[in-house]
Amino acid sequence: MRRVLIFLMVVLAVFGFSKYTFYLVSHGGPADPFWAVVMKGLKDAGEKYGVETVYLGPEKYSLKEFIDLVNSAIARKPDGLIVTITNPVALDEPLRKAIKMGIPVVAINVPDTRPPEEAIPYLVYVGMDEYLAGVYAARRMLQEFTPKRAVIAIHEPGHAGLEARAKGIMDVLSEKNIPVEKLDITTDPTKALSIMKSYLMKHPDTDAIFTLGPLGAHPAIQLVEEEGLKGKVKIGAIDLTTKIIEAIKDGTVLFTIDQQQYLQGYLPVVFLYLYKEYGLIPHEKVLTGPSIVDKSNVDVVEKTVREGYR
Amino acid sequence: MIRFPLMKELGAIVGIVVFFILFSVLSDRFLSMDNLASIFTMASELGIVAIGITLLMISGEFDLSVGSVYAVVPMAMAILINKGQPDVIALIISLLLGASLGLLNGIVTLKTGIPSFITTLGTMMFWRGILLAVTGGFPIMLERNSRVLNIFGGSIAGGLRYSGVWFIILAIVFWIILERTRYGNWVFATGGNLGAAKALGIPTDRVKIVNFIISSLLAGLAGITTFGRFKIVDPTLGQGMELEAIASAVIGGTLLSGGFGSVLGTFIGAFMIGMVRSGLVLAGAPAYWYRAFIGVILIVAAIINARIRKKVAG
Repeated sequence: MRRVLIFLMVVLAVFGFSKYTFYLVSHGGPADPFWAVVMKGLKDAGEKYGVETVYLGPEKYSLKEFIDLVNSAIARKPDGLIVTITNPVALDEPLRKAIKMGIPVVAINVPDTRPPEEAIPYLVYVGMDEYLAGVYAARRMLQEFTPKRAVIAIHEPGHAGLEARAKGIMDVLSEKNIPVEKLDITTDPTKALSIMKSYLMKHPDTDAIFTLGPLGAHPAIQLVEEEGLKGKVKIGAIDLTTKIIEAIKDGTVLFTIDQQQYLQGYLPVVFLYLYKEYGLIPHEKVLTGPSIVDKSNVDVVEKTVREGYR
Repeated sequence: MIRFPLMKELGAIVGIVVFFILFSVLSDRFLSMDNLASIFTMASELGIVAIGITLLMISGEFDLSVGSVYAVVPMAMAILINKGQPDVIALIISLLLGASLGLLNGIVTLKTGIPSFITTLGTMMFWRGILLAVTGGFPIMLERNSRVLNIFGGSIAGGLRYSGVWFIILAIVFWIILERTRYGNWVFATGGNLGAAKALGIPTDRVKIVNFIISSLLAGLAGITTFGRFKIVDPTLGQGMELEAIASAVIGGTLLSGGFGSVLGTFIGAFMIGMVRSGLVLAGAPAYWYRAFIGVILIVAAIINARIRKKVAG
């Protein structure tokens, strides 16, 4: 069914009235709500600028299938290719080939993290910087108050993205000489809660908990509620879920960091359109996040989540 | 074989006493009621899963799918309650689902003759995949309060929770079944010497299937205790739990090859893993060393248990 749909879209693109066809290939499948938002951005921009857009992504995460999709997108010689650099080494050859063929390539969500001379020469990266997400989380916490001691709950030690977020937080807090350390809380909520509780027993002066994803935020919220620590221990989160939004509204969580992935679908279409038309393109990277969600804007954010923009 | 009281569990008992003293010295907060209750809660959910695993391992089979079942069962319950089903109906249906997942593991393993390690490795991936597909990778939140869930995950007093009560009750029940009933003897015989057990007329296939069901059912029940507390099910819930449950059983003296083991030992094993996690945090050990430490304990415990077994068996 999906193949037929894609085929129809390609036919439409070739024989339709649209001037350009842009492909977006991502490692995330259309069933993933995160990517559903990106797809909406892509579709909205396509309609606005009168270009055909095609979204391709494996149903379930699979590097091989993802690379196959990238290759099949390139084989169709689109007017623009938008792609997540999930694995720079595996993507190196197909993307360099595409660029050589004259297909403009825009990277989204995950950049090529290798040094510039080795990196794939795509036009621009549109996405969040994980390290900056940590930096902004720490700064937002400092705006509120200066913690006596902070702890970073990391649920998957060694995960490159989470470690970069943690490093961002640590760098900012260490500069202010605030004691801060990473705590391996595992992905299990019960263990996470007990481990954080033990940490608070060991260091009762801890008044700020940073969580790096929902698997840290959810047990941290539970801990603060169960132990009646609201107001005494403040939580700063990264990523958006319904539970985190509710906790921001009732004050258990101070803020969270969002990467506004709608823009990762929308902006590349705009950029590719402007590039094809006038040769204009922003330089190096365009950051869609970190964007801070706190009490001041949580209602708007909640509404846009429901409408599929976040 | 001569049965010394608590001989099977000796390694685990010695271990837990050593760590108990060690952590009490290292941190003055370790012995607080609050902390012990917190450790016990952490041990309970793992322990309930590990009791089922122990039974199954003694009868000579494995279950790697418990971590996925631990998430699938509460996820089913959450969806049913959110769809407007009464709590009790949702509870019964989801527990039945848990039991049937175990039945499936058992039937596939015994009818096809493939190792249960493979069957349950497959079902572990399969159910986790279904979970991800159904939820799209996002957590499911309970949309209304549920009193039924409270008797699984609610708190009692002094930091103790109902999950702990379930853990104690289930440990006693299955200890009695294993050590004091004919069925218990069948379990040991099935895992100890399958040929001899069959020759004696023990329905070994039925024993194994029942144990597969118990293992899945307990995993699902443990998942519901977590759900009862957090009111939210992440699709990654329970990942890696199967290995930790097996670790609890092994630390408690249960043999990977079957025929030997103890529910009491598993109870202590699960408590010990929780205690070490919490104890290391309280002692101020660097955070990234916990996992390494638990790995060492597992190996040391297995060595001690093997020595004890040799002494007992002569």
